[in-house]
Amino acid sequence: MGSISFRNVDKVFGHGAGGVKALDDINLEIADKEFVAIVGPSGCGKTTCLRMVAGFEAASAGSVLVNGRPVTAPGPDRAVVFQQFALFPWKTVRENIELGLRNKNLPIGERNDLVAGALKLMNLETHVDAFPHQLSGGMQQRVAIARAYVLDPEVLLMDEPFGALDAQTRVVMQEELVRLARHNPRTVLFITHAVEEAVYLADRVAIMTRRPGRIKEVLDIKAVRERENWDSHARIEDVMDLESFVHLRTHIWKSLREEKGFKDV
Amino acid sequence: MAPLVSRKTLIGGMTVIGLVALWFGLTTLTGLVTGARFPSPAEFWFSLKQINGRGYAGSTLASHAVHSLKLVLMGFTVAVMTGVPLGLWMGWSRRVEAFINPVFLIIRPIPPLAWIPLAILWLGLGDAAKILVIWFSAFVPSAINAFTGVRNIDKPVLEAARMLGTPRWRMVREVILPASLPMIFTGLRLSLQASWTTLVAAELVGALVGVGFVLNMAQQDIYPGMILVGMVTVGILGWATTVLLARIERRALAWNVAARD
Repeated sequence: MGSISFRNVDKVFGHGAGGVKALDDINLEIADKEFVAIVGPSGCGKTTCLRMVAGFEAASAGSVLVNGRPVTAPGPDRAVVFQQFALFPWKTVRENIELGLRNKNLPIGERNDLVAGALKLMNLETHVDAFPHQLSGGMQQRVAIARAYVLDPEVLLMDEPFGALDAQTRVVMQEELVRLARHNPRTVLFITHAVEEAVYLADRVAIMTRRPGRIKEVLDIKAVRERENWDSHARIEDVMDLESFVHLRTHIWKSLREEKGFKDV
Repeated sequence: MAPLVSRKTLIGGMTVIGLVALWFGLTTLTGLVTGARFPSPAEFWFSLKQINGRGYAGSTLASHAVHSLKLVLMGFTVAVMTGVPLGLWMGWSRRVEAFINPVFLIIRPIPPLAWIPLAILWLGLGDAAKILVIWFSAFVPSAINAFTGVRNIDKPVLEAARMLGTPRWRMVREVILPASLPMIFTGLRLSLQASWTTLVAAELVGALVGVGFVLNMAQQDIYPGMILVGMVTVGILGWATTVLLARIERRALAWNVAARD
């Protein structure tokens, strides 16, 4: 089980007159095993939403619930994949992936099996003993995803995980994540500013307004994807060419552009 | 294929040979600098033979050097063992920082050498006073750099560790300590330098054995050759301990890109 609920959530940074309202009355229900992406203009507070589920920030008002229980602190039931990978540079690939399992006090045999599984899942078998700085950005993010997946978390929180990768690597990782999410579904909250990425990956896409961030619209992608049978296309570019995909993408673009229009034009 | 001796080493060696040649030229060859001001290579060699054979200032060069080295290593170790944990603790806890920082602010401007009279008053001319003074001087760089090391840890790395449910002690041992290690080693290098400076100064003022004592006696005897022997000895010992520390650092930070050349 791994449902996420935002109920009337406000977030204010700072105090009193100097305080800045980052989030305004966020309401969002994410069901167990659902993949939801949040898109929005920069600074709209989408990352803050994720950080509240992770337990790094507390809501100023309202409540953030996971499985109906309020979030109080970070924990391995809500694994986070960070934009800048946040690997431990002094630990090898294996040691990075293993730390969470050691913290759970799993016996070594079980631990090794799980690590081996995660390494295989992310195609990291040949880099087990490498240090992070010896790996490319894409490889480092694979390690970070393996480190999160190996915990078998109820909820996976991904904060612009492919934002620091080059375009080609990014596409490969998106395809891999789809493969993972379809074969081994779990609840995912995915933050991005890349519209195509959101449409390609998510079951639903939530669009946020500029600051103070509100949920403007939630689009059901899964219904379209299943109706138009997107998953029969192996490659991301083929999916992106489909009329149904283009339609959704354009809709979100327009919605975001309205937001920017207040300020930029 | 890599050459047997690197270009850097070659140029360095040539500089040393050039300096020795200049030294020889200014003293023995031309007599521009008289032996009363600065010893010639021959006088230096004579002093070196004397202290190694008959001894000077109570014992041979080896026992003076070993004694000084022992004190530096002891003082340095005590300073590091106390300074680094305190720095880490201050870095981790704002409350501890608030408690300790005023003490630092008051004590730091006092030059470590100004503690020497008090140390001698308390503990006499023996080893304990010197270790105390070295501790005063070497403690601060270790503590401050460990503190900075913790404060500069990449925030997402700490968050990742918390997210993974890392318990408190494992957090210190496997995350905070290794993450701060590059800065800690910077502190250790500064502490080591401070240890040598302070030791020689303390031995100059009050000691019965040690390289600083050799320097002090040679000055009173107006014996430039022996003064130079003492200076060169301190230089070599300081260099050797620094090289050793750098080796340890390279090993400990094998994972760190910045530490590799």
